[in-house]
Amino acid sequence: MLLLNIDAAFVIEKVILISVILMGSLGVAMYATWAERKVSAVMQDRIGPNRAGPFGLLQPLADGLKLFFKEEIIPDRSTQFIFILGPCLAMLTATMTSAVMPWGPDFTLGGRTVSLQVADINIGILFVFGVVSLGVYGVMLGGWASNNKFSLLSSIRAASQCISYELAMGISLIALLMMTGSLSMKDIVTQQHGFWNDGYFTWNFFKQPVGFIIFLTCSFAELSRAPFDLPECDSELNMGYHQEYSSMKLGFYLFAEYINMFISSAVISTLFFGGYNFPFMDQVQAAVPSGIFSLICVGALMAKIVGMILFFMFVRWTLPRFRYDQLMKLGWRSLIPLALINMLVTGGVILMTMKK
Amino acid sequence: MTAIIATTVFGIIMMFTGLFVDNKKTVSSIAAVLFVALLGINIMELSDATGPALRSMTLSLLGTADNTNGAFPQLLFNNMLRIDKMSMWFGTAMTACTALYILLIGKEFRKVGTHVAEYFALIFFILCGLYILTAYNSMLMLFIGIEIMSIPQYVLAGSDKRNLKSSEASLKYFLMGAFSTGILLMGITLLYGATRTFNVTEMVPMLHSESLNPLAISGIVFIMVALGFKVSAAPMHTWTPDVYDGTPTAFTAFMATIVKAGVFFAFLRLFHVSFGNISEHWLMILAIVTALTLLIGNVTAVYQQSVKRMLAYSSIAQAGFMLFSVLAVSSNIAWNGIILYGVAYSVATIGVFAVLVKMKDYTYDGFNGLAKKNPLLAFVTTIFLFSLAGIPLTGGFMAKYYVLLAVMHQGNMMWLVIFALLMAAISVYYYFRVIIAMYFKQGDPELTSEVTMGDQVLLIATTIIVILLGVMPHWFLMPA
Amino acid sequence: MDIYSILFWFLSAMAVGSALGVILSRNPVNSVMFLILTFFAISGHYIIMNAQFLAVVNIIVYAGAIMVLFLFVIMLMNLNADVEPQKGMMIQLAGVISGGTLFLVILMGLTTAKSELIDTKSSDIGLISNLGKVLFTKFALPFEISSVLFLSAMIGAVVIGKKEHIPASEKAEIV
Repeated sequence: MLLLNIDAAFVIEKVILISVILMGSLGVAMYATWAERKVSAVMQDRIGPNRAGPFGLLQPLADGLKLFFKEEIIPDRSTQFIFILGPCLAMLTATMTSAVMPWGPDFTLGGRTVSLQVADINIGILFVFGVVSLGVYGVMLGGWASNNKFSLLSSIRAASQCISYELAMGISLIALLMMTGSLSMKDIVTQQHGFWNDGYFTWNFFKQPVGFIIFLTCSFAELSRAPFDLPECDSELNMGYHQEYSSMKLGFYLFAEYINMFISSAVISTLFFGGYNFPFMDQVQAAVPSGIFSLICVGALMAKIVGMILFFMFVRWTLPRFRYDQLMKLGWRSLIPLALINMLVTGGVILMTMKK
Repeated sequence: MTAIIATTVFGIIMMFTGLFVDNKKTVSSIAAVLFVALLGINIMELSDATGPALRSMTLSLLGTADNTNGAFPQLLFNNMLRIDKMSMWFGTAMTACTALYILLIGKEFRKVGTHVAEYFALIFFILCGLYILTAYNSMLMLFIGIEIMSIPQYVLAGSDKRNLKSSEASLKYFLMGAFSTGILLMGITLLYGATRTFNVTEMVPMLHSESLNPLAISGIVFIMVALGFKVSAAPMHTWTPDVYDGTPTAFTAFMATIVKAGVFFAFLRLFHVSFGNISEHWLMILAIVTALTLLIGNVTAVYQQSVKRMLAYSSIAQAGFMLFSVLAVSSNIAWNGIILYGVAYSVATIGVFAVLVKMKDYTYDGFNGLAKKNPLLAFVTTIFLFSLAGIPLTGGFMAKYYVLLAVMHQGNMMWLVIFALLMAAISVYYYFRVIIAMYFKQGDPELTSEVTMGDQVLLIATTIIVILLGVMPHWFLMPA
Repeated sequence: MDIYSILFWFLSAMAVGSALGVILSRNPVNSVMFLILTFFAISGHYIIMNAQFLAVVNIIVYAGAIMVLFLFVIMLMNLNADVEPQKGMMIQLAGVISGGTLFLVILMGLTTAKSELIDTKSSDIGLISNLGKVLFTKFALPFEISSVLFLSAMIGAVVIGKKEHIPASEKAEIV
């Protein structure tokens, strides 16, 4: 276990990296709320937030301030400890996934190689899955502890939706993993080096289009975003599981959702769109020093992530909400068989190409 | 190995039959055909293994070419399975019993619920577990085999959803069964810690009396408790009456007979092959378990008012006798004993259950005057009960004789043999209560369904098998 | 005391403590949460032994899926401490005595047992590539044949869970 051979510089490096990532994801999530409003405004031919700061850019800060100063209400008949635990868990699981993401290539600084990945564990994707599967606890416990029927129903919906779509998600990834032969996020990104190689696109999106579509659909469901936002569908369940929450505890839930969206955009970009790779990166690498190159790579990844987030928002403001039985039918009867077939076909193709 | 594959494939075929065939009668007939085919496959495989006499006989019957490979025992898949003649013989015998069971009781499945094809599929899967248990050579396979046998049983126990008792039986069986599986796994883990192998034969040199690791002893005791649960030996028997009583009668007949015999074979195999050398460490515990099983099973059976419940306790009592074969570590007769006992007990019990499913009232009074109403039914029941009680000239007598003889050869447990004989005498009381009710009491028992010509022929055939088991037991033992 | 033993004792204390919490806490939801904590402690042990795959699968399957379903059922049943049936004094006493005896006997046995410790530092047995190789070569049969087990469990779920569909022709008999 190399993990435990610790030296001081290593600790400092990781602490800085973790802080930067955490701050970064919080910042992105913050501005995702602003972007969501702006996007919806643009799509509905409205103006959107424009009072706080230029283009309403300070709006997220104003919202945060408002949430902080709201009165803290804990319902009388709730299970207090779990009621508080719920939003904490949601936030915790939302931020944990970023630990295994490779944000950029290694670079050398003062004679030591600095990795832009908090931990390169050889089960990277499974770690992501593990954390995602735990993510449902925040919603479930919070909804149950509120002692409110709407909250309970919503948390049950959230849990069953997450579990159902996790299956299809996992199976669709198996096909991808059979091609990469590694579970480490770092390896997967390195394999997608550049964009074009020997007459092939290197990005996994071009090798696994079906897997990508399934994965994307499942991400929508896992994030419980429209068209799969059944847990908080306001026409049926008022506000869903955050019915009884107020102040920053509500803020935690809302924030956790946007962080989740950021992280899952990052995961999708890493798995299917080459992570920090971009076309002609070899030429760029030759031209600039390694530190600058790493920054450019991070920029490339960020661009992809922002693109994904915008896509998530477009979909939310375009498609109507599914009915619950339609959601389950889609998950169990379409996506899982499709993912299985995709897995079989991929396996067959790999077997045939290996034989020669 | 062919049998394992075949039974799995047949199970899947039954699943699809349920999908495409609506008529339940057709489903039952397809299942019956498949079971007979499975028996045929077993005999084919057996004929490769055993002597030329049987092979030529089968080959001439089937008209196929001689393709013996002669290498027995077969070790398959990195020593995961060890298929020898004994295991194939036992597997074939149990398949034959299952085929008999399906022919006799299979059409009663329709009364249980709507998922008839699925019930048959589950029974095929149970047989898959049974074949694994007859041939396992690794603790992993023992575990998987027991689980493959158990899980379909939990389902079958709860298959009558309109009956609350059935659901209760299923839940009770599932919870207790899961608990005993945990104990089995714990035992396997401890044993692995002591011997560093899962292999049944490779662990033998690691287990010797001079320097026995306490880990191994605790492992063996844990495994004994878990397997004792599965065969309903005494302190672990408490689930048996409720589960057997609540389960639909058609499935109780299977659970109490073939499944139990299969687990016994695994029990015997593990404790003789792997733990035989260190028998002084566990023999006394098992002897006490045996004595308790005999005592509780027989004495409690006396107080029952329902024949079905009495049969549940009688199955505990019979398990006590089967435990004798495990006790007879240093005797070669034990293997023949368990095969003979398994077949004799299964055939007789299936026979009794085949009559029982036809009865409307399961109490003793429900049997009053059956001899007048349907003499044949009463007569065959009498023969089956004779066999269960161990009356000479029936299979039960020879079976009890073999297992007790095996222990007597060992010579150190005469007290237990005498105790067993005493308990056998008690068992005569409650078995004969049914016979007395049928022949000497007045009444008009109601039958739920008509006894058809086919039923009569099959019941008579079963009776003949029971008597043949008593008169010519060596026919049913593996040719040396 | 190196970092391994510190981690080991911490995780062991956590595992035993939260396992006790499972059976001692009155509220079933608390029990479930203690059980999840136990799974985390066990996963930590796996990681110490460098079995990362096992660790994370333990989390995904048990903490992430099975316990969620558990929680599901418990939430819908609305259990609380008042509903819990009280056991008789004699039964409790018998349980304590027999459980305690078993515990003591096994403790006695295991303290005298000798066992070789696993090498935690160099072995990479638990890594996923090695695990896969072993599963598909040495343990191919148990691995494949457990599919029969899962198939029967699935059939069981259908048989138990599906509503009885009674054909019109047989409806008359039942009523």
